[in-house]
Amino acid sequence: MSHLLNRLNFLAKKNTGTFSDGHGVTTTENRDWEDAYRKRWQHDKIVRSTHGVNCTGSCSWKIYVKGGIVTWETQQTDYPRTRPDLPNHEPRGCARGASYSWYMYSANRVKHPLIRSRLLKLWRKERAVKTPIGAWEAIQTDPAKRAAYTSIRGHGGFVRASWDEVNEIIAAANAWTAKTYGPDRVIGFSPIPAMSMVSYAAGSRYLSLLGGTCMSFYDWYCDLPPASPMTWGEQTDVPESADWYNAGFLILWGSNVPQTRTPDAHFYTEARYKGAKSVVVSPDYSEAAKFSDIWLHPKQGTDAALAMAMGHVVLREFHLDRQAEYFEDYCRRYTDMPMLVKLVKKNGHFVPDRLLRASDFKGALGEKNNPEWKTVAIDGKTKKPVTPAGSVGFRWGEQGKWNLESKDGKGRDVELDMSFVLDGEHDEVASVAFPYFGNREHDHFQGTDHQSVLLRSVPARKLKLAEGDTLVATVFDLFVANYGLDRGFNDATCATSYDDNVPYTPAWAEKITGVPRDHIITVAREFARNAEKTNGRSMVILGAGLNHWYHMDMNYRGIINLLVMCGCVGQSGGGWSHYVGQEKLRPQTGWLPLAFGLDWSRPPRQMNSTSFFYAHTDQWRYETLTVDEILSPTAPEGPWDGTLIDYNIRAERMGWLPSAPQLKTNPLAVAKAAAEAGQEAKDYVAARLKAGDLEMSCEDPDDPANWPRNMFVWRSNLLGSSGKGHEYFLKHLLGTQNGLMGKDLGEEGRQRAREAKWHDEAPEGKLDLLVTLDFRMSTTCVYSDIVLPTATWYEKNDLNTSDMHPFIHPLSSAADPAWEARSDWEIFKGIARKFSDVAPEILGVEKDVVLVPIQHDTPAEMAQPFDVKDWKTGAVEPMPGKTMPAVAVVERDYPNLYKRFTALGPLMDKLGNGGKGISWNTEHEVEALGKLNGVVTEDGPTKGRPRIESDIDATEVILMLAPETNGEVAVKAWEALSKNTGRDHTHLAVPKEDEKIRFRDVVAQPRKIISSPTWSGLESEKVCYNACYTNVHELIPWRTITGRQQLYQDHLWMRAFGEAFCVYRPPIDTKTVNPMIEEKSAGKKSVVLNFITPHQKWGIHSTYSDNLLMLTLNRGGPVVWISEEDARTAGLVDNDWVEVFNTNGAIVARAVVSQRMKQGTIYMYHAQEKIVNTPGSQLTQQRGGIHNSVTRAITKPTHMIGGYVQQSYGFNYYGTVGANRDEFVVVHKLEKVDWMEDPLDETVTPKEAAE
Amino acid sequence: MNETLKILSILLSYPDEAMAGAMREIRQAVAGLGGISQAQKGLIEMLASDIAGLDLFDAQERYVYLFDRTRTLSLHLFEHVHGESRDRGQAMVDLLAMYEADGLEIDAREMPDYLPVFLEYLSVKPQAEAAELLGQVAHIVVALGERLKKRGSVYANAFAVLEELAAGKPDAALVGELVGAPEHDPADLEALDRVWEEEAVTFGGNAGEGSCGPDRLQRQMRAHTRKPDAAAPANPL
Repeated sequence: MSHLLNRLNFLAKKNTGTFSDGHGVTTTENRDWEDAYRKRWQHDKIVRSTHGVNCTGSCSWKIYVKGGIVTWETQQTDYPRTRPDLPNHEPRGCARGASYSWYMYSANRVKHPLIRSRLLKLWRKERAVKTPIGAWEAIQTDPAKRAAYTSIRGHGGFVRASWDEVNEIIAAANAWTAKTYGPDRVIGFSPIPAMSMVSYAAGSRYLSLLGGTCMSFYDWYCDLPPASPMTWGEQTDVPESADWYNAGFLILWGSNVPQTRTPDAHFYTEARYKGAKSVVVSPDYSEAAKFSDIWLHPKQGTDAALAMAMGHVVLREFHLDRQAEYFEDYCRRYTDMPMLVKLVKKNGHFVPDRLLRASDFKGALGEKNNPEWKTVAIDGKTKKPVTPAGSVGFRWGEQGKWNLESKDGKGRDVELDMSFVLDGEHDEVASVAFPYFGNREHDHFQGTDHQSVLLRSVPARKLKLAEGDTLVATVFDLFVANYGLDRGFNDATCATSYDDNVPYTPAWAEKITGVPRDHIITVAREFARNAEKTNGRSMVILGAGLNHWYHMDMNYRGIINLLVMCGCVGQSGGGWSHYVGQEKLRPQTGWLPLAFGLDWSRPPRQMNSTSFFYAHTDQWRYETLTVDEILSPTAPEGPWDGTLIDYNIRAERMGWLPSAPQLKTNPLAVAKAAAEAGQEAKDYVAARLKAGDLEMSCEDPDDPANWPRNMFVWRSNLLGSSGKGHEYFLKHLLGTQNGLMGKDLGEEGRQRAREAKWHDEAPEGKLDLLVTLDFRMSTTCVYSDIVLPTATWYEKNDLNTSDMHPFIHPLSSAADPAWEARSDWEIFKGIARKFSDVAPEILGVEKDVVLVPIQHDTPAEMAQPFDVKDWKTGAVEPMPGKTMPAVAVVERDYPNLYKRFTALGPLMDKLGNGGKGISWNTEHEVEALGKLNGVVTEDGPTKGRPRIESDIDATEVILMLAPETNGEVAVKAWEALSKNTGRDHTHLAVPKEDEKIRFRDVVAQPRKIISSPTWSGLESEKVCYNACYTNVHELIPWRTITGRQQLYQDHLWMRAFGEAFCVYRPPIDTKTVNPMIEEKSAGKKSVVLNFITPHQKWGIHSTYSDNLLMLTLNRGGPVVWISEEDARTAGLVDNDWVEVFNTNGAIVARAVVSQRMKQGTIYMYHAQEKIVNTPGSQLTQQRGGIHNSVTRAITKPTHMIGGYVQQSYGFNYYGTVGANRDEFVVVHKLEKVDWMEDPLDETVTPKEAAE
Repeated sequence: MNETLKILSILLSYPDEAMAGAMREIRQAVAGLGGISQAQKGLIEMLASDIAGLDLFDAQERYVYLFDRTRTLSLHLFEHVHGESRDRGQAMVDLLAMYEADGLEIDAREMPDYLPVFLEYLSVKPQAEAAELLGQVAHIVVALGERLKKRGSVYANAFAVLEELAAGKPDAALVGELVGAPEHDPADLEALDRVWEEEAVTFGGNAGEGSCGPDRLQRQMRAHTRKPDAAAPANPL
């Protein structure tokens, strides 16, 4: 019988039975119990965002939202796939990012606008009877009223206030300051725009429309390597992390990838799986050290010596004894090595002078356009001097010859000679002097006793120049002599063996660095051998461990030399990977107009922060480093007198560095005066400066007329994290209680500045108003007058790019800003609106005179070809843009500032857009933006212009205008560059011409950017992003004087300070320790240590350092790391409380005694918050300071150079840097721990508060 | 409406102009309160008159200092229960759902666990239910009250009353955990070190149980906030 009736035909019994061979049973029992965990992980939506300011990760995160509340975050894993044979980017993210959602509802969140109650009380009293401007004026013009709130900065006393009220106070302060002192007295500091570019742009757009000053960050953080612009004319263009995988040999040098580049570290691991060799150079046994095949641990700060010795080995084995074909060809075509240098007689021997120029010859070698800026080499075929194409003289004023083809200016094929020694072409062997600094005395750094001037034999040729017969040598021959390599001239000061004790042999380096010579030789040899076999796939990843030293350029150039001589720069898997800070704002040319209001007025005011803070926190008044300590024994004649600030003042006068404030007179008044005098502003300013009745502010930073008055800090913890010389900030800029223990030069009776005016009484409290925007109550907030609650990284819309990967990534709003917080865009928009309401009382449409330093990537960069002449001395006339800053007049429409803020201005249509020396028409993009964002319909000056109302509108402006995110623009940009080079580059972007990335696209998935001439690497399916790739493969010149990688720095100041070639320079003596040992540590066991501030594992700068989840993984408060030997000397055991101090200030922390540490160093991880578990110091009677309490910025003259092609100023491109690693401290045990919990009593002892 | 809870909700809010303007009315309402003892009434009146008697700026400065800036006194209840843990988001979602179940939503820029919000919610609930819910957070109320009392702050009065209005006694162990020993002697370094000491790993049993639970986090949070309160104005309390 059929089973048809017995069985079910259409149905089956549900959920019963077994599976997996009876190991599993399905049942029908109640599953309610699962609700608990199902509910736990339920959510309404997932939003993509990332972490915004200070981390280079740009990692994609899923933010889970439930009931409008962010509940947790997890890593996203949907990055676009890479090509075959390359690992994918995932997983990205780390423990820090995973704990971020904690901040949103933390008790440490700033929830409401806060203001010092004393200020608010004064304000309301005045405001009751006066206009906003009148009220602010009444407070500022009464010293007692002003001091009432400025003197208690950092001591609490906050109350809440409404947005309307704080906006009015800020707007009134800004307007009154602009009217009274000048708009350039309104200053704004915000770092790292790449990480949340709209938030940055919000403040900088407001300031730029106002005429305020935007401050740089990259140089101030000391993350900017000046060696990069010096060598390449480009700032921090580096390989993406995926390119590590393509390397065959990887050196990690002063960089701790697994700890500080957590999301990228997997590429390093994967490269090692693939078989890449890895060397780690780090004084301590860092997290990275365990990955290495060889761990080199030189004495801290001596890295240049190590690099020079490695270069010595490579030159000997691959360039001299044998010429590796690939290396030689690379150096000939892509470096300045074949270029000629004049040799000049001094004290009976020769000194390398500047690079030879076409203009040095009679008839200028036939060059009519810019002959002073065309460098010269010898053609190997004709043995005659030629002007190789590609030097900067070909870049401006003519077209089609600015390229790296092996041709001269007339289009003839040439093959340049690198050396005069091979075929015996030299006319004579010149005895050339090179400076040696390794013999200078330092209490804590071992030197050698070689002479200060090393005379070395260099093959030279005699050329007939306009001035007569002159000896010249190639850069290569000088370069080799500088490395101390004997060329067969039997030179006693050169080495024939690696064991000779001669700078810069491995034996010599062993003495300086402590690294065994055979390790140096092995690493150098294998590094070069790999590069030779793979056409340059050897890479150095270098980090803050090298860049934060005063002589960081030597560390960097030593390594760059090594890379260049091995042909690694611009090759896949090779090159210079500087990952310190984060600078890569990929859609840069789309962002600039939005950020600096270039759509309404040009130029904006931009300032280099290091020089600014050096002057305005009065750190210069305490300067201990004298110029003769750093001057070269081979310096040419010159005015090498004065102190460091004098050099900065000269640089500002000569148009090298920017100034802020600019003139002692209000620039609005200067414009009026010029008009009344019937003169053009530039002529008026030049004449009045010369006459002396107009003064530059830099000459008297302590005069109240020259003080910065209002300051905004946003996206930054300036005081808690990056303020080198923290105690100087507190004392002079803020005017509050501080822990400064040193005396200024007046009290000490030491040498004073020549150019800067000295006031016996130093000002305390220059700022009228400090406004900080933050989502957490950081150390900077604690010291501010007004604190504005900003949206967290999960509460706003923004864009984010990194140098570590090629994607553009959004921040998007998962929930409305909690409490009364607003996004940075809305905050500055609100201030702008209020400003336009209150300003018309005193400000209308005004003309503003703006001083601009000579800018890189403009024709003006060819300003001062030969000597250095300061118009103040009468040596030359003040000529704007040539011998002094350029002078521009900008129209400010103060009543319509808000309208301008919220619409794209007409200059984009009129002047076009561009960057880095090229420009293109962008009318089509403006039109498209009008359609996308809508246009303004209200009457007024912005009618018909594209709207920029919301943060998303702002992102669309960036994305539409930038070649990196709009293929059509990319093609236009490459076309523009093709005109300059005479070569067609459009093939790099044509396949993506129709691609236009929108905000919603990147929200859906991070998008890879489009190749653009703004950057020197490519985004393609064939190669990873690698810097200088297009220079090498598309023959686009570097933006330097020779158009090639510049290893010889021929500016007068470079030669004067001994850095024309790379040399080893020991750290400087900051002299902050010895005065303190006697005075404060007498009779106590103590130890003197080198103070180093690496990045930590439990925070990103100060962010997360107050996050309990992260604190739990560490020791819960400020710690310092010291070695076992040093701990014994000072009588310390692990976990002891110690005081760490010098004349700059004092820190109190717990000691971690570890075998990891190298003797002689102390580590304090960067930016542990002062507000967390920090007791008082017995020395200062103040709360123990932050890591920057024992530091002070010291500037370097070579970083001030300007008006000289690659060494011309650019914002966050070149300038003085805030170095801090040369500092030493005394460490002793803290006897008594005082938590300073009593309230502030202003009448008794000064106790600074942290809350 | 439970007027006592409503009044306490107001008095524990930020003292703005509106509150200052209504102070007379509030104090009259306090005098007329029913259902609570004279002593309780006196405590509330003392708080109200203290706030009313201060210059508004001083009252505001005190409030910001105590409740916005001092983490251990945060009026956001879950700060003390969940601290930094991920459960906090979910807890807020649950609380919000409770309000919504009663047909209420938050009409201010505040979080659902803000004590004045919670008290206002309780004020519209039936007496017994309100007391029951208040009882669930009694340990936090007691702990905050203790801390305020130690500081000599008149705000402790509000918490004393709330403690009595809550149903049942708070769990002494929970209160003890919250009030915590380390806070008593800020100069006691060893106590601080004990808090941050790594727990030894032992195998088997409940080894390391406390190593990452909320209790340990809270303990460390307290250590962490033993930061100086010197930010205070001359006489903050």
